[in-house]
Amino acid sequence: MLALETLHGTRIVAAPEALDALDAATWSTSVTVLRFAPDDVFVLGAETISISGEYAIVEAESGFVGCWLTDEQLAHVAEHIDWPLPVERPVLVQGFVAGVPAKIWLTSSATGERSLLLCAAPYACELTERLA
Amino acid sequence: MSRIVVDGRTIPYESGDSVAMAVLRAGEHPHHGGALCLAGDCPNCVCEVDGIAYVRTCQTPAKPGLVVRRHPEVGAPEIREPAQPNVARSPAAAHIEVRRIETDVVVIGAGESGRIAEAEAVAAGRAVTVLDSADGNEVVAIYGGPTVIVRRPDAMVHYNANEVVVATGAAEIQPVCPGNTLIGIVTARAADQMHTAGVDLGVAVAVGTPPQTAPCMAVPGSLVRIVEADGKLSAVVVSHDGNETTTPCDTLIVGLGFAPRDVLSRMAAPHLPVRTVGQAAERFALPPCPTAGIVCPCSKIGVDDLDGVWDRGFRELELVKRASLTGTGTCQGSVCVPHLRAFIAERSGAIPEPFTARPATRQITLAEAAADVHTDVFRRSPLHDEHLALGAQLDRFGGWWRPWNYGDHVAEYWAVREAVSLGDVSTLGKLVLSGPDVVELLERLYPTTVADIKPGRSRYVLLLNERGHLIDDGMICRETDSKFVLTFTSGGAANAEMWVRDWIETWGLRVHVLDQTMSLAAINVTGPLAGELLQRVGLADQPSFLHHVHATVAGVACHVMRLSFTGEASFELHHPADRSAELWRALMASGRDLGVKPHGLQALFGLRLEKGHVIVGMDSEMDSTPRRLNMDWAVKMDKPDFLGRSALARTADLPDERRLFGFTVEGAAPTEGSPIFSDGAIVGHVASSFTSPLLGHGIMLGWLKHTPWPEQVQIDGRTATVARPPFYDPEGLRARA
Repeated sequence: MLALETLHGTRIVAAPEALDALDAATWSTSVTVLRFAPDDVFVLGAETISISGEYAIVEAESGFVGCWLTDEQLAHVAEHIDWPLPVERPVLVQGFVAGVPAKIWLTSSATGERSLLLCAAPYACELTERLA
Repeated sequence: MSRIVVDGRTIPYESGDSVAMAVLRAGEHPHHGGALCLAGDCPNCVCEVDGIAYVRTCQTPAKPGLVVRRHPEVGAPEIREPAQPNVARSPAAAHIEVRRIETDVVVIGAGESGRIAEAEAVAAGRAVTVLDSADGNEVVAIYGGPTVIVRRPDAMVHYNANEVVVATGAAEIQPVCPGNTLIGIVTARAADQMHTAGVDLGVAVAVGTPPQTAPCMAVPGSLVRIVEADGKLSAVVVSHDGNETTTPCDTLIVGLGFAPRDVLSRMAAPHLPVRTVGQAAERFALPPCPTAGIVCPCSKIGVDDLDGVWDRGFRELELVKRASLTGTGTCQGSVCVPHLRAFIAERSGAIPEPFTARPATRQITLAEAAADVHTDVFRRSPLHDEHLALGAQLDRFGGWWRPWNYGDHVAEYWAVREAVSLGDVSTLGKLVLSGPDVVELLERLYPTTVADIKPGRSRYVLLLNERGHLIDDGMICRETDSKFVLTFTSGGAANAEMWVRDWIETWGLRVHVLDQTMSLAAINVTGPLAGELLQRVGLADQPSFLHHVHATVAGVACHVMRLSFTGEASFELHHPADRSAELWRALMASGRDLGVKPHGLQALFGLRLEKGHVIVGMDSEMDSTPRRLNMDWAVKMDKPDFLGRSALARTADLPDERRLFGFTVEGAAPTEGSPIFSDGAIVGHVASSFTSPLLGHGIMLGWLKHTPWPEQVQIDGRTATVARPPFYDPEGLRARA
C-alpha cells in the first residue's frame, strides 16, 4: 500500500511570466517545481524563493500529500489511469487516478529520479484505499 | 465425449465446436429459428450461457458442463434473483480486471485486409497489435483517444493507440421474406462451417451465391418465401424469369451478398485517426427492397411495421430507427441496416447513409461496463479520525464526509448555547485574491459595497448570478488594499471558484486567485465561553464581531475570523490542514472544564435555523432572489453595477408571490419537505425544520408561493403560525458579545 505523506512546500500564484522564470531557474536536485497551472506553482524543497510581482500570492502549502514512486509502483498506479501518460519527461500530469483527482510528476528513471504521485489531502485515504 | 447442458438436457460436442455448432450437431437450433450466420453478426443464436444473457453462442467455445438456456421466443430473458437475496445490501459485484495498454497501431480483424494492414504498419517500423474475436479479443467500442475497448474472457482491455485500423470484413446479407424466422436457414459461410464440422445439412438448397464446400442444389432465382411444415422449413419458393418454383429441402442456404461490418467505424468520431480497410470499407450493393417478412430479428420488426412508421411521417433513417426500434437490438443493425436502407431508398429515391453507431457493439454485462469505474469520491476533513474517535455519525454533505452528530445532537446544541463547542468547518470554500483590480472585481461580483471594507474587517455577502438569483454566500475578509480572502459554502465552493475565475477572465481584470479550500482546515469555536477557551490557548487579542486577525492559537498559526452562524459568539480558526488535529485536541483538552463538546451538522442546522440564517440550496431555490429570501438588506442597489443588478432592478416593482417565511408550531417540528396548506390548498413547502430545545416548539423556514400570504397555515395536520425569523436573539447581542 502506498504511504502518502504530507508535502510541505510553497504555493505561488503569480503572473505566468514570473513563474516561467521560476520554472527555468536552476535548482538543486532536492527542489521540485510543480507547475499546476500557468499562474500556479507548487515548489518542494526550496528554502527561499524570490518571485517578482507585488501582487503574487505566496503561501506555505501543506494541503497536498504524496509518495515518491518506484518504477514498479508507478506501473501499478498507471494501471488505475484511463488516460494515456505522455512520453516526455519530466512532466506534470493531472487527472483521475482510480477515480480520484491527482497529479503525477513523471521523471525519467534513467537519471535516477523518482516520480511523485500527489493529491489534495482530503482525497488521501480514498486514493490509498483504491490503489491498494 | 464432453457435453454441455442446454435447457436442462445434456448435448455432446466435439473438439473445436462452438456452443451453436454443438446444438446444430444435435439437430437443434440454438434459438427459435431465423437464419444463422455463425459469424457473430446475427442475433439468431444468442442464449443465456452460464447465467449471462444475450451471449452469441456461435462465438462461444463449448466447454464441459457449460449451462445454456434458450431465451424465450417472445419477451426478454428472465432476470435471475441472487442466490441469497438481501434487500438491505447490494450483491457483491463480480470483479472484472481492466488492463490499459499503450500501443502504436491497433488493427481490428485478422482477416486478409487486417493482415495487409499489419504488414504495412510493420514495414513502416510501427508497433502493431492485432485484435480478432477468434483469438478471444472481442472489440466492443472505440472511444476518443482513440481508445479501443476489448472484452476478453479474463478481463476488459483498453488499448490507447495512435492509430486504429478497422479490418473487420463484411457480414452476409440475411433473407427478408415470409418464413425467414423458420428453423433450417443458414448463410453460405455458415453452411461451409457446418459442413467442415461434419454437421449433416440434409437436403440443402442454395439461393444466390452457393457455398464453397457444402454440398447443395443451387436454385436460380430470387427468394419469394420459405414454406413451413412442423415448425421448420420444408421448401423454398423462388422466382425466376417470372415463374415461381417450389423446391423441398431440409436446409436453405442463402448467398445474398454482403454488407460492410463497419459498426466500429461508424462509432469512431470523424476526427479520430481511425481508418477502415478491406471489405469493411466497401460500398456493397444494397439488397432488394423488402416487401414482406421480418426485417429486424432482434426486435421482430416486420416490413408492415416499417410501412406504418413511414406512413406516420418518419422518413429519415435515424427517425425510422427510433420510431420502429429497428437496429437497436442485439445485433445493433448488422442484419437489418442494409434492408432498412433499401426500404428507405425505394421510397425516398435516395440511399441513406447508415446511422451512427454507439458503444457497445456487443452485449456486455453490467459488471464489464462498470469494471474499474469508481464511485464519486467524497473528501475527508483532516479531522476525520478525530470525529470517528468521538463517536461521530458521518454522512455525505457537499462532497465531504461530515459529522452529522456525535450521538446526542441536543447535548451538542446546548453546548453551543450555554458553554462552548467546536465545529469542523474545514469544508468551507476558501479563496485568496490579490491584484490591482481586486476591488473592482469584487464590486462587480457582489451586491455589497466592498471598497469600504477596511483591512482586518469582514462582511457577509451574497453571490448572485446575472438573473439576480442566489448561487452562494459567504464572507469577504480584507487583508490589505489589494488582497482579500473569500469564503463560500462547502457544497458551492467548487462552482464559486469557477465563477470567480470565469469573471476575472471575462472582464480581463488583473487578479490572482489561490484556492485554499483543501489546504486550510477550519474549526469554529462557538458559544458564550468561546472567548475564554481561546484565551486559554493563547488568543489574547480577540477580534471583535466581523473582524479578523492572524494569530497563533495553541501554537498553530491561524487566520481567526469573528462571525456567527450559530447565533453565539463564534471564531473560525483557519489553519494549515496538517496541524488541524493538533489544534482540535488542544481546544478539546483546554475546554474540558468549560463543557466543550463537538457539534455536528444536525445541531448546527437547528442553531442557525433559530437565527433564521439561510442555507443556500436547502432553503433557497434555483430562482431565489434576495427579495424572495427577505435578504434585500444584503443588496446595495445604489451601487452602479454588480452581477444581477439589472435583473433585480427590472423585477423590483413586479408582483412576486414567492417568499421565504418562518413558521412556528406547537410540539415537534414537521418533516422537512412537508407541504404547507392554506384553506385546503397547498401553498408552499417546508424547507428546514427543527424542534428547538430552547423554545420548546417546532420552528421552520418554508416557502409560500401564493398571495395573499396567510398568517396561519396547516402543516402536518397542525396549525402553524407564520413568523418572521430570527426566532432567537433578534438583536444579535449574543453573536457580538
